[in-house]
Amino acid sequence: METKTRKTAREIIESYDGAPIRIMEVCGTHTHEIFRLGLRNILPKNVELISGPGCPVCVTPVSFIDEARMLVLEKGVTVCSFGDLIRVPGTHGNLADARAEGGKVQIVYAPMDAVDYARENPEEQVVFLSVGFETTTPACCLAVDQARKQGITNFSLLTANKTMPSAYRALKDSVDVYLYPGHVNAITGTKLCEDLAKEEGISGVVAGFTARELLTALAAAILYHQKGEPFFFNAYPRVVTPEGSVNARKMMDQYMEDYDCEWRGLGVIPQSGRRLRSEYGEYDARIKYNLPPMEGRENKACRCGEVLQGKCLPVDCPCFGKACTPQHPVGACMVSNEGACSAYYQYGGNLL
Amino acid sequence: MTKTVTLAHGAGGRQTSELIDEVFKAHFANPDLTADDAAVLMPPVGKMAMSTDGFIVSPAFFPGGNIGKLSICGTVNDLACMGAKPLYLSCAFVIEEGYPMEKLEEIAAAMEKTAKEAGVRIVSGDTKVAGKGQVDGVFITTTGIGEILPGIATSGEAARPGDAIIVTGDIGRHGCTVLLERENFGIETDITSDCAPLWGTVEAVLNATKDVHVIRDATRGGVGTVLYEVAEQSRAGIQLDSSAIPVDDQVRGVCGMLGLEPLYLACEGRMVIMAPKDRAEKILAVLKTCPYSSDAAIIGEVTEEHPGKVVLTTEIGTKTILAQPGGEMLPRIC
Repeated sequence: METKTRKTAREIIESYDGAPIRIMEVCGTHTHEIFRLGLRNILPKNVELISGPGCPVCVTPVSFIDEARMLVLEKGVTVCSFGDLIRVPGTHGNLADARAEGGKVQIVYAPMDAVDYARENPEEQVVFLSVGFETTTPACCLAVDQARKQGITNFSLLTANKTMPSAYRALKDSVDVYLYPGHVNAITGTKLCEDLAKEEGISGVVAGFTARELLTALAAAILYHQKGEPFFFNAYPRVVTPEGSVNARKMMDQYMEDYDCEWRGLGVIPQSGRRLRSEYGEYDARIKYNLPPMEGRENKACRCGEVLQGKCLPVDCPCFGKACTPQHPVGACMVSNEGACSAYYQYGGNLL
Repeated sequence: MTKTVTLAHGAGGRQTSELIDEVFKAHFANPDLTADDAAVLMPPVGKMAMSTDGFIVSPAFFPGGNIGKLSICGTVNDLACMGAKPLYLSCAFVIEEGYPMEKLEEIAAAMEKTAKEAGVRIVSGDTKVAGKGQVDGVFITTTGIGEILPGIATSGEAARPGDAIIVTGDIGRHGCTVLLERENFGIETDITSDCAPLWGTVEAVLNATKDVHVIRDATRGGVGTVLYEVAEQSRAGIQLDSSAIPVDDQVRGVCGMLGLEPLYLACEGRMVIMAPKDRAEKILAVLKTCPYSSDAAIIGEVTEEHPGKVVLTTEIGTKTILAQPGGEMLPRIC
C-alpha cells in the first residue's frame, strides 16, 4: 500500500484501471448500504460488485415456508416470525395468506419475544421460525436456553439457520474477492477467513457498514487483489477481533450442530446448516410435530437462484419489476429489504 | 360522575348531557359552541379552506402529547398548509365502554389548550360510546374551517425548478416516539413527539413573504412521502442534501438499530415549505424565531432533472434515488 503520494480510499477505487475484479458483497445489509450510498456509481468499469447470498430471508428454501404453513394451518400452531418472512412465497402461498385463512402468525422482533409470547399464552403451541446466520443463531439458541430454564414446554424452533463459510466455498468460482459480512465475523472471529485464504485460495476483506468503512474495504480489496496472492484483511477492526465472540459460539455449539442444508437458489451445501442437537428434540418443531419431508416448488420464471450466485443481475430476470415487485414478490430476493432484487427495485438500479 | 364511560353516556339521555357538560363543555366553552343542533357561524370574507381527519393513534398517550392534542394539531396544520387561518373545528368522539373518565378529561384538556394556542374555536361536537372491544380506547375525528390569507395560493402542484426546500425542524420524532412506546424494544431514549399546532409558524412565514409555492404537513408517510407526492404533482425533480436534513441524534440511533429511514418516519409538527430560492433565507430567519421551528433548515431544491423522483446527495457526495418504502408502513401512527 506504500506509494509516494498517499491516496484516499475513494481515489484508489476510482482510479483503478487494472484487470477486471469481481467483488461479492455477501451481506444483505451491505447490499442495501451500497445502494443507499450510491457506491456503484463511483466504481470504474472493471470493478464489478455482485450481491451475494447473505440475506437470510432470500436463501430460505420454499419448503421451509411450506413447513411453516403446515404448522399453522394443519397443526394449529402459532407461528412467531420476523416480519420479512411473512411475505416469502411458498409452494401454495405465503404466511400472510395462512393468516388470512385463519391461522395464527405473530410478528416478533427477536427470538426471545416468541418465548415471552409462549409463556404468556400457555394454551397455545408456539413455534419460532429460526432463520439467520451466525449473527442471529446465538439469539435463537438463547431462546431455547431460556425456555428450558423457565420450564416453558409450548415453545419450539423450526430451524433454517445457516453458516456463511460453506457459501464462500460454494461460490468461490464466480468471485475474486469477498466483502465479508462484518457482523458475522464479529461472532466467528477472523481465523476461519484467514484459513480460507491460506488453505483454499479464497480472498476476502471484512467490511463494516458506514460509508468510510465500505470505501476502505473496497479499496483494500482492489489493492490486495492486484498483488496476485490470496489474502485476508480485516477492515472492520473496531468491531471484529481475531477471536470473535466466544460466548455466542459456545451457546450455538451447545444447542446446535451442522448438517447438509438446502439454500434457495444454491441447492444443498454440505454442513452449511445448523439444527438443534438431538438431545433438544423437544424444542425441534420438525420432531415435535412429526413434519414430513417436503419438496418445495419455486416459480420457474424467477431467477433468484442465479441472482444469489451472482450469475445474473436482478434486472436480467423476466419477472423483475413486472410480475415481481416488493408489493407482490415472486422470489425471496424481492421480499426482504436486504434482498438484491428489492434493493435494485427501490433504488432504480444504476439510474443516476 | 362515574369513573368510567358507560354505554349510557352515549345513549343521548341524562348521562350524555352530564358527560358533555362536565368534560367537553367545561373545556371547549366559547360563544359559538351552543346546545343547538348546529353551530351558526359567520362565513370568512375571502376564500375558505376545509379539512377533516380521523385519529386512532396507539397508544393514545405518548411522550410529547396525546390523541387530543394530535386531533387539533392535525386539522389545524392541514388548514395552515393552504395558508388558511383556522377558525372553527368540530370534533366527534367514539369512546370505548369502560374508558377511564380521568383519561378522557385529560384528552379534552389537551384539546382545549392546543385549540387556544392555535386560535381556533371548537363549535360542534358529537359523542358516541361503542361496546367494549368494538373500538380501542378513544377515536377522534376533527373537521376544520379556515380563512385563506389574501394573495396565498399554495399547492402541491406549484413547486417550480429553482425553489428551495425547507423543513421546519428535525424530522421523524413523532413516528419514532410512537413506535418506541408501542413496541417493547428495550431501547431507552428521551425522544418526545414533535406534535404541535403550526398556524402561528405558517402565518409568520406568510407575513414575511407571500411568495410561497408549497406548504405541506409531513404526517404519516414522513417528509420523504411528501416530497415524492410534490415531485409527482408538480412534475419536477427533488434534489436533497442528506447532510442538511435535521435529525435528532437519538432518532438517528433508533433508525440505525431498526433499519428505518428518518425521511419516512411520521411527523406531526413539521412543515415542508417550497419557495423561490431568493426568499429562502428570509423564510429561514423567520422560522428560527418561531417556537416550533428553531431547527428549520434548507434541505434541497426543486429541479427540472429527474421529474417525479427524489434524488439524494449522500454523505460521500454520490447521488442516489431515495428508495420508496414498499408494503405497509407503521399502522395507527395518528
